[in-house]
Amino acid sequence: MDWGIIAVDALQLACIYGTLAVGISITWSSLGLINLAYGFVFAAGGYGAWLAAEHLSEHGIAVMSAGILTGALFGIVVWALAFLPIHDKPNFTMRGMIATVAISLIGNQTLMWYFGPRAKALPEIFGYAQVEYAGIVLTANTAGTVASSIVLLGVVLWWMKSSRRGLEIRAMMMNPHAASLVGIGVRRTGLYVMALTGALAGLASVLLSQVYYVSPFAGTTPLIKGLAIALCGGLGSIAGALIAAVILAVNEAITAATIGGQYVLITQFGLIILIILIRPRGIAGILDRAREA
Amino acid sequence: MPVDRQPDDVARPDILSVRGLSAGYGPMRILHDLDLNVHAGERVGIVGLNGHGKSTLFLAIAGLTGWQRGSIQLNGHEVGGTRSQGPGRYTHRVVRRGLALIPQGDEIFHGLTVEEHLDSGAFTKTAWRERRRRKAWVLDVFPPLAKLMSVSVGRLSGGERRMVCLGRGLMSDASLYLVDEPSLGLAPKIGKSVLDTLMAIELGESAMVIAEQNVSLLEGRVDRIIGMHAGKLKGEASVSLAGAMRWEA
Repeated sequence: MDWGIIAVDALQLACIYGTLAVGISITWSSLGLINLAYGFVFAAGGYGAWLAAEHLSEHGIAVMSAGILTGALFGIVVWALAFLPIHDKPNFTMRGMIATVAISLIGNQTLMWYFGPRAKALPEIFGYAQVEYAGIVLTANTAGTVASSIVLLGVVLWWMKSSRRGLEIRAMMMNPHAASLVGIGVRRTGLYVMALTGALAGLASVLLSQVYYVSPFAGTTPLIKGLAIALCGGLGSIAGALIAAVILAVNEAITAATIGGQYVLITQFGLIILIILIRPRGIAGILDRAREA
Repeated sequence: MPVDRQPDDVARPDILSVRGLSAGYGPMRILHDLDLNVHAGERVGIVGLNGHGKSTLFLAIAGLTGWQRGSIQLNGHEVGGTRSQGPGRYTHRVVRRGLALIPQGDEIFHGLTVEEHLDSGAFTKTAWRERRRRKAWVLDVFPPLAKLMSVSVGRLSGGERRMVCLGRGLMSDASLYLVDEPSLGLAPKIGKSVLDTLMAIELGESAMVIAEQNVSLLEGRVDRIIGMHAGKLKGEASVSLAGAMRWEA
């Protein structure tokens, strides 16, 4: 067993999963919306990047920012269709899930109809360079994935920690009722959150399509994994989601290297079920230091 | 300290003017055609038993009940009207018009620090610019908070949380403070000191309405005491009277 390869794989997967899970977690806790159209936003971000590579420039920065911007744009579309009209109606959680599933189905089929079922490859945005150190091969692709997701996540988390808008989003994540009492508008904040999480999905999409391809249903597996990781981390906790992403990425890399890639989903969900059985509130339940009121 | 009503007090502008307000949740009707006026600079107490609509009155003013109808004017702007669903939809606009509602129980952001909490209270545009000055003032009012500024609110005790909640309300640039049962769930001594603090706050051109079950905490210290029973306001008494009156509640 080659621990070097496992570590590098795990690192790369952890970054991509972490980006997705943080997006899902923020959406759920601040808007009360389980965004099942996240997979569609993910795929749309990939196609945005592909279009930019075809028509504008193959430069890495152009491709990546096209993916991020398209993701943010479709995040706003989901906000306009599935949050704005129904967020204050009774049983919004269920209605929101149904609305986002509908957007996801319609969106994926539209992508299929417009772009065709054939998968598209994005240009290698990080180049082909690689360095070898102590038997571990680190490709530019892995390094680029890790660096760009850490940078973007870092910027997002720093912004949420230090700005007025970030305070607004965090306040809404913790207590939406009290947030409206201090003058925070739910709909406006929802717009920021959906654009932000859409951008994260767009980034994850560009990064993941360095390994896989852009296809109409490319977002389905990332959505399911991202959602499961967010659940495992304790929906609503950013730190929990990041820790869960690392644990599950390590699990995935080890499984793939030892018993084979086809068993990844089995061990993945086995582990998630185990964690939820032991800590029903997910990993965040361990981190949370608040007194029960 | 009792404040003698000056003749020109009557001419002071209304901060809050409620006309024919009914509100409730689903099929339940809690408030029945209420009227209420609060002038600038006034401190009003509302007393009544549990479940008679004190909190619902406050929530209705903030647009947080299940449904409501009737006129609510805050600083001359209509913020009420008829609404059958969407609680909280317009609350932020009412807050920006100058409402600070300090809700019953502690509606806190458990993961934020005390300082972030106070900042969040200054979320409205004008207050945000002056938040440093306002924070200093809030710390003047609640000195124990000064050494807790970087502690996460989820780890504070009940009394400290209440102070944070009240402080958050005071941070906003509000003209009307609605304080819902400030002594609820606190040890009598702490509850009393919280109320002492509320009474000591200089109101200026703003106004404060305090809901309480315990009349003795308000007696002789507010400008007016209004009784609330079964969703209606009853038996208004000015301070001098309230001191002499025996309340059944």
